[in-house]
Amino acid sequence: MKQHPHTPDPFTLGGKVFTSRLMTGTGKFTDFGVMREALAASGSQIVTVAIRRVELRAPGHDGLLDALDWDALQLLPNTAGCRTADEALRVARLARVATGVNWIKLEVIPDARYLLPDPVGTLRAAEALAADGFTVLPYMQADAVLARALEDAGCAAVMPLASPIGSGRGLRSPELLRTVLDGARVPIVVDAGLGVPSDAAQALELGADAVLVNTAIAEARDPVGMAHAFALGVQAGRAAFLAGRMPERAHASPSSPTGGVVRLPDPEVPV
Amino acid sequence: MTRPATLTVNGEARPLTPGLTLHALLRDLNVDPARVAVGVNDDVYPGARAPHRTLEAGDVIEIVRVIGGG
Repeated sequence: MKQHPHTPDPFTLGGKVFTSRLMTGTGKFTDFGVMREALAASGSQIVTVAIRRVELRAPGHDGLLDALDWDALQLLPNTAGCRTADEALRVARLARVATGVNWIKLEVIPDARYLLPDPVGTLRAAEALAADGFTVLPYMQADAVLARALEDAGCAAVMPLASPIGSGRGLRSPELLRTVLDGARVPIVVDAGLGVPSDAAQALELGADAVLVNTAIAEARDPVGMAHAFALGVQAGRAAFLAGRMPERAHASPSSPTGGVVRLPDPEVPV
Repeated sequence: MTRPATLTVNGEARPLTPGLTLHALLRDLNVDPARVAVGVNDDVYPGARAPHRTLEAGDVIEIVRVIGGG
């Protein structure tokens, strides 16, 4: 009998093999202890961080780099806060020397209200960063044409949003995500807006290779419990994708045989 | 009258002492160099290997660190 181990199948991103399809951010946690436990419960192997100016009036350090075992985790610095391609290029280069890691989650976001990415600036920055040797993971709208252009630019993955960052509104445009997934040549990581594990499961069921979650875990009443739940959601979604969903139908289709049904004589009901 | 020479450090103007190096600037600011990355205009350096590069009036310097984010 075929075995179904309850571990996700591996995928390759940026030349490295990962078994966890849940990536986790480190923002908004109340303390490092909770963050560490939540990351452990998530099983995440790729963890995002941000780059910010040192407060010169009260220098000190956040200590994040000390709080986690970076030999076991792939560090993924982001360019969050960058409004233009040029700002993102500068932050990416600072991130590389700050961390010694050449992976970058590229965010070019001019709009603070919806935090929607600038497609033109993102593509321009992705081209420059890929040419500069970065492993580029761009955050973008679920747009298939842009996704293909980002692949052509040399991006290691493409990260379409589910709904606005931190909104917890789930996957609002599955049809558009489907167009991004169709024909993708790099891993597709659904990023931003996932609120509950079923959102993550839905993304994986549709064929996304992974998801990235931060606020839904950090702002849960029990972040450690929610991190665990997301790990299960991702595994369920991936297993369902591999198993292949049934076709949807407009009308009901009986599960039980239609022949041999026990009938009482009732002239009111047609046979 | 000449205006005093200044640098921009993390978005704020700061008077430039003649001969100031990047290495010395980090020390003057009391920043632990091992924890930061530094940009001088278009160049970037790991803080721990900040060079004795002499800074010039108008240089734009960023001193950054890693923090939690998504």
